[in-house]
Amino acid sequence: MTVISCIDVNKNYRHHRANEDVSFSVKENTITGVIGRNGAGKTTLLKMIAGYLRPTSGDITVFQKHPYNSLTVSYNRIFVDDQMVFPASFNLANIIDMCQDFYPNFDRKFAYNLIDYFELPLKRTQYELSKGQKSSLHFIVGLAARCPLTIFDEPTTGMDSTVRKDFYRALLKDYIAHPRTILLSSHQIQEIEHLLEDVLILDHGKLLMHESIDDLRAYALKVSGDAQLVKKVTAERDIIYEERIGNNELNVIIKNDGSFQTYDDRISTEGLPVHELLSYVTKKRKGGIDDVFHK
Amino acid sequence: MKLDPTSTKPIYLQIAEWLENEILQGHFQEDDKVHSQYTLAEMFQINPATAAKGLTALGEAGILYDRRGLGKFVQAGAREKLKEKRKKVVMETLIEQLIKEANYLNIDKKEVLNMIESIYRQEGEQ
Repeated sequence: MTVISCIDVNKNYRHHRANEDVSFSVKENTITGVIGRNGAGKTTLLKMIAGYLRPTSGDITVFQKHPYNSLTVSYNRIFVDDQMVFPASFNLANIIDMCQDFYPNFDRKFAYNLIDYFELPLKRTQYELSKGQKSSLHFIVGLAARCPLTIFDEPTTGMDSTVRKDFYRALLKDYIAHPRTILLSSHQIQEIEHLLEDVLILDHGKLLMHESIDDLRAYALKVSGDAQLVKKVTAERDIIYEERIGNNELNVIIKNDGSFQTYDDRISTEGLPVHELLSYVTKKRKGGIDDVFHK
Repeated sequence: MKLDPTSTKPIYLQIAEWLENEILQGHFQEDDKVHSQYTLAEMFQINPATAAKGLTALGEAGILYDRRGLGKFVQAGAREKLKEKRKKVVMETLIEQLIKEANYLNIDKKEVLNMIESIYRQEGEQ
């Protein structure tokens, strides 16, 4: 069953377009990564899916409804980011109790166990927590709510790496026990790659790719070696990116259609890890940070 | 075993290979039930859909068979099949690389064979 469907979705703010012609759909009970550079339009897209923002044009349906102003959608989803707001006077224990009243599947015991494990101070309010603790609280609420659609927008902001790992592990374990549809955005794809089934890659507001994680791993090849030779063997190929190393060497990233082979020892061909692929496909078309220093 | 997240080999294939190893080493005998997609997902911290893909790949290769509602089981003769496959794939690729490298370094066939002989002697032929 399709839980989320976006058709030609656009979102304009006053001075810029945050999302442009985005179309995709997400199946029930999958974990989809939403990946992109800063300002790629991840948060806007997720907020439209959650029903916080209305698309300028195009069609979004979540559980067969338009999410904006939909009770069905807001009842069945939770949106986790670093700005979740709870009543200012509530301490963590109050917040958990409130969440239990609010979310029908909320697992209070699970929430308390997590709070205990991560040593969050139950007596303090949200405003007396550190950045990482705040994110931890939000993550805990997001997990324990067990909403059919769970959206995590950069949920690990401010957490140290051990805590991040623990949370992702908890996410996977809880997902296995209680399958649901999860959207997870991050710019650190290495950290979440193993959890994902599918990946949406956004760049400058547009949807660049929607692939399964396994297809992404086999998506491209890096051919490198002597510039002239590399140019020759990749001439007929679908080239994603080219970069010169020094005067005589060339790296060319080509699309992997399974047919590329070269027996020349002066050329090396290797697969491309997903995070590298990502940095190539979302790179500015020309040049890099080095060029700034030559202007 | 640890999965190699930096490898470009799809994770589901790494899972399939791990299961193949388990069968080769005799940890799973014929008609034994292998791990479910959920157990594998827990063990390796991966998405259950990815684990399922690995199981399906082994099913298609005739290594596992399905019992509806019960899970996947090791096919009769799976071990022999895997041994043959490994022999072909692993040994042939390694030997190909060896010959390529030897050509590159101008080492002739005789010398390569001598080297193999002598390393066999050092390791003690089994």
